[in-house]
Amino acid sequence: MRIAPALSSPSVRPFLLLAAMVLAFALVDLGHGRFLNRATAFSVLQQFATIGPVALGLGLTMIAREFDLSVGSMMSLAGCVAVMLGAEHPLIGIAAAMLVGAMSGVCQGAIMVVLRLSSVGVTLGGLLTVGGIAYVLTGNATIGYPRMDVAMLVNEPVLGVFSLRNAVAIALYVVAAFLFLWTRLGRDITAVGSNPRAALVAGVPVDRIVITVFAVSGILTALAGALLSYSLAAASPVAVVDTLVPATAAAIIGGVSLAGGRGTPVGIAGGVLVLCVLRSGLTAIGVPPFVHDIVTGAVLLSVALIDAPELQRRLVALRRAMTG
Amino acid sequence: MSDISIAERLRLPQSRRKRMLVAVRAAAVVALVAAAWATPGFLTATSLFSLATTMSFIGCVAVGMTFITLSGNVMSFCLGATLSVTTIVFMASLPLGLFGALVVAFAFSAALTGLQGLVIGTVRANPIIVSMAVLALIYGFVTLFTGGRGIYPEGSETDVLKGRIGPLPLPVAAFLVTVAVGELILVTTRFGRNLYMVGSNHRAAVAAGVVTWRTVTGAYVMAGLCTALSAVLMAARYSSGDMEHGIGYDYHAISAVLVGGTAIQGGEGSALRTLAGTVIISVIQVLLLLWGFSTQMQYLIVGLIVLGVIMLHTLGESR
Repeated sequence: MRIAPALSSPSVRPFLLLAAMVLAFALVDLGHGRFLNRATAFSVLQQFATIGPVALGLGLTMIAREFDLSVGSMMSLAGCVAVMLGAEHPLIGIAAAMLVGAMSGVCQGAIMVVLRLSSVGVTLGGLLTVGGIAYVLTGNATIGYPRMDVAMLVNEPVLGVFSLRNAVAIALYVVAAFLFLWTRLGRDITAVGSNPRAALVAGVPVDRIVITVFAVSGILTALAGALLSYSLAAASPVAVVDTLVPATAAAIIGGVSLAGGRGTPVGIAGGVLVLCVLRSGLTAIGVPPFVHDIVTGAVLLSVALIDAPELQRRLVALRRAMTG
Repeated sequence: MSDISIAERLRLPQSRRKRMLVAVRAAAVVALVAAAWATPGFLTATSLFSLATTMSFIGCVAVGMTFITLSGNVMSFCLGATLSVTTIVFMASLPLGLFGALVVAFAFSAALTGLQGLVIGTVRANPIIVSMAVLALIYGFVTLFTGGRGIYPEGSETDVLKGRIGPLPLPVAAFLVTVAVGELILVTTRFGRNLYMVGSNHRAAVAAGVVTWRTVTGAYVMAGLCTALSAVLMAARYSSGDMEHGIGYDYHAISAVLVGGTAIQGGEGSALRTLAGTVIISVIQVLLLLWGFSTQMQYLIVGLIVLGVIMLHTLGESR
């Protein structure tokens, strides 16, 4: 009886799904050796480095019952800023990108808090504005990053499966998981998401938490975008990879509830890994990449259905109608 | 006489905040008209016609998006992809003849969005997640069936759709008709009234006996039909069906809806406002171009305007 609640906990469920998926791919690939190898593991972690930080930031805003649409274009803007300012010192480029991300998050969070606006509206404006800034900065062109040594360095495999880029992403998750476990921050974010009014009464600084999650979301997205652009040795105002949809999918596979107040960094990490294993696994066993889009879409749609507030009521009504 | 205030006589809103909002909007429009008048080259016929034609494609989608926003479901992220895939479906079904292809295109697009409306309306699934899911599904399935290539059929069946009605290019006429029909549906039909009620207060609408899932599905079907109109005209214009056609249209459309003054939380707005929003954005873009600003500057300024309009809207809310 003790096992059941553990299985349905948002930190455990994604890992069960992950285990099932790894097992399924291993069985399909049995004897070919295309899936269970170092190259696949490395590619999983490299994708984790791209989607992971974004999903963590977006997931935190979702736990607080908000939604950060602006991550889509922040990823590109951060890449452009890093590439333009980081030719001399790569770290300065990354710091500048993260500063831009933090500023964008704080501005959007402050607008929501001061004017009592919904996050979807404000971050939609943010998405268009941030994208516009990226276009203006680059003059609507792809800009190259002259430091091939840096590009090599961030992707250089270490210990077989790790690289500087994915190690950063993993470290971010470890820090976030501990902050969630050991400090008030996690409980406060969850409280704001479950019931903002009750949280306020209980002494949670709701406004500050909202601004903080958007700042964190901006910073994490900017870091992922900067590292991605370094590793590609190029940046472009047009989104290089679509991040908004996979990051959202990863967060909700990772047990973040659309209604807010549920989800943990560990769970989100599991959700990201599920998506990455899916993509790398399909590529490894030779399935064309569009299947990945279809599976992502199907998963998102099913989660949207399962999480829908009136599904239960409709099903009960349907059952009653069937039994007469 | 003196006990009737000027505000009442002019039918201005009573609340001070709302009056301020009206004043800000009016000032912005006056400034825009003055700027357009003073800019050499703006009022030439060629400039106006090309402005009107490009804006019409976005405008049709924006009227469709208006229905979704009004129903309280914010926006759809997949109307651009729906537009693209409908251009492909339309071009692929041209062997059925022009009329047959039109029917197929409209039915396909309306079914695609209508199904989402059904899911969102019946179990109140999160509209943003549903539209993202469908976005991924559309790209997946289109690549499965076409291998990612556009289709460029031979033949000239679609040339009719490139014509003019009187002096107006067909897309412009279609856009104006869409706005008129959309506004009529919103103002005169029971569906329209229900849509406003569902959008402004879902619980109250249920209590008032509105079958909400039917209203929401209707709103999404309307969005699909408007998107299909834009799709067939665009397919005819470029003589092709391609996933490139609709890229960014979801964002352009929602920008036009919001700049027109439709409330993002639903229940307040109209097709006429979306017409205004579409015209305002297009005029600003052309002015920026004529003033020598780069295209990329347009993206930034439109983004800032959308952000500003969303913030401005709180002025109108009574708190």
